[in-house]
Amino acid sequence: MTYTRTHVILFLGPLLLIVVLMYGMMAWTAAVAMDDWVGMAPVWKFAGWNNFHALLTGTLRQRFLTSLRNNLTWLGVFIVPTASLGLLLAYGLDLVGRAERVLRPLFLYPMALSFVVTGTVWAWMYDPDAGVFNDILRSIGLGRWAQPWIADPTLGTFCLIGAAVWQYTGFTMTLYLAAIRDIPREIFEAARVDGATDVNLFRYVVVPNVGHATMIVVAMLILVTLKVFDLVWVMTFGGPGNSTEVLSFFMFVATFRQQFVGIGAAISVVIMVLAIAVVVPYAWWSTRRLPT
Amino acid sequence: MKLSPRGVWVVLLTAVAVVWLLPLYTMLATSLKTTREIAMGQYVLPPREFAVENYRVALDALRYGLVNSTLVALPATALAVLLGSWAGFFLSRLRFRPAPAIFFLATIATFLPYQIVLIPLTQLLSALHLINTRPGLIVAYLLLTTPMAALITATFFQTVPMELQEAATLDGCGPSTFYWRILVPAARLGIISTAILIFTLVWNEFLIPTAMTQGTLNQLATPVLAGLKGNYAQLWHIQMAGATLTSLPPLVIFVVLGRYFVSGLMAGTLK
Repeated sequence: MTYTRTHVILFLGPLLLIVVLMYGMMAWTAAVAMDDWVGMAPVWKFAGWNNFHALLTGTLRQRFLTSLRNNLTWLGVFIVPTASLGLLLAYGLDLVGRAERVLRPLFLYPMALSFVVTGTVWAWMYDPDAGVFNDILRSIGLGRWAQPWIADPTLGTFCLIGAAVWQYTGFTMTLYLAAIRDIPREIFEAARVDGATDVNLFRYVVVPNVGHATMIVVAMLILVTLKVFDLVWVMTFGGPGNSTEVLSFFMFVATFRQQFVGIGAAISVVIMVLAIAVVVPYAWWSTRRLPT
Repeated sequence: MKLSPRGVWVVLLTAVAVVWLLPLYTMLATSLKTTREIAMGQYVLPPREFAVENYRVALDALRYGLVNSTLVALPATALAVLLGSWAGFFLSRLRFRPAPAIFFLATIATFLPYQIVLIPLTQLLSALHLINTRPGLIVAYLLLTTPMAALITATFFQTVPMELQEAATLDGCGPSTFYWRILVPAARLGIISTAILIFTLVWNEFLIPTAMTQGTLNQLATPVLAGLKGNYAQLWHIQMAGATLTSLPPLVIFVVLGRYFVSGLMAGTLK
């Protein structure tokens, strides 16, 4: 099908404009990170690496490292349970036949919710005094296991991660179920004839054949851990103290509450560098699969 | 009685599903309980009398937010899908040399955490005098979701048979006619899926309105709900009624159009 320059401008123009604007804004953030900008109005006072220096060695060091460490905790603790639970559920759903139609949506409901809704509900469930978890524990005689949950600086981040696992397991389950359905049925049938059990099949047929889906799942979940903001805001507001803060939360507070815009931009650059390590290879990989 | 292996899986998955639904169930149950019932704990029990009153209180607080979220999410979704699908068409169906490069750059723009453009975006909207307005929020969401709409519609458009395009070309059909008359109707399920994904994303989003709006008049539902936690501290029934109201639109879409919801979700990863 032939097209003219007018067609290029009409069809691609809006997207190109937006993409150029997005990259322009990224460059802008990087430029602001090198400026000593404090306050609402733009201050273009070049400050070199001062903002990064302040984050790494200055008064903000403690807070920055706490946020970074919490992001690493998210990375280490969120992904494996969300992916493996999703895979197990997907395998189960593949085995239950028609019951799948009823069961599958039940795990997907959380995916339709806002993190703000999840946060509101889970903050209540974790409440030390009137929360659902402690209430259930007490009512079944396990009151000594009751915890301060999100009010505890060491438990806090893990509680937030628990809520995120709940929300995202349906997502990984969906991707894995599609991957399992892509495995040729004959492989399963042949293995069954040879006497393979469900566990054997999972170990020797399912796991080796869902690597592709795992790559997508891991990339997407890493990005979730870098973006996480809403849950922290709603459930703990970074507290107690700043024990549950993450980079994007710290960035927001520094920029929009304390108006250290240069510092906020520097934190954004840190997030950008971490995300680029995942996003660029992912974009490369998905572009190569285009038929063009 | 001995259960078949399949039966064992059904029981197992049902048990997990019950645990999985507990937060949603307690949210709904508590949103209908009276203060007296809340005070007794026993959150797992169903409400004894339906305190619809809670919803009136929550709706009072959320009224503007829900209306604003609708007035922002609908136009933002429509525009993003329209502009994005034009580009998606061009990138996936026409021989255009730079298409892979554009696809690559748009993918990066889609998946990078948008926190990193929050500062310039706020500055841009202030310069345009759009900060703290609904049109400003629409512009912000349009910038953030159009690249994604382009990529997702491109993946859906790829599934439309090439023969349709060849036949149309032979009949002298140009790109515009082909897009409107043949491609969009043929790929309408993909377009619906894309729209559902983007609407849900925008409706559920929190960071943008938190950074760009103040006061109640232009506030979206998610920040108002987050605010309920402070204004109605310990009043769990009001908070849960608010949470239920805020989740209604995406949940209704999910229940009614679940299939599209799922295919949008999958396409959103560029699988």
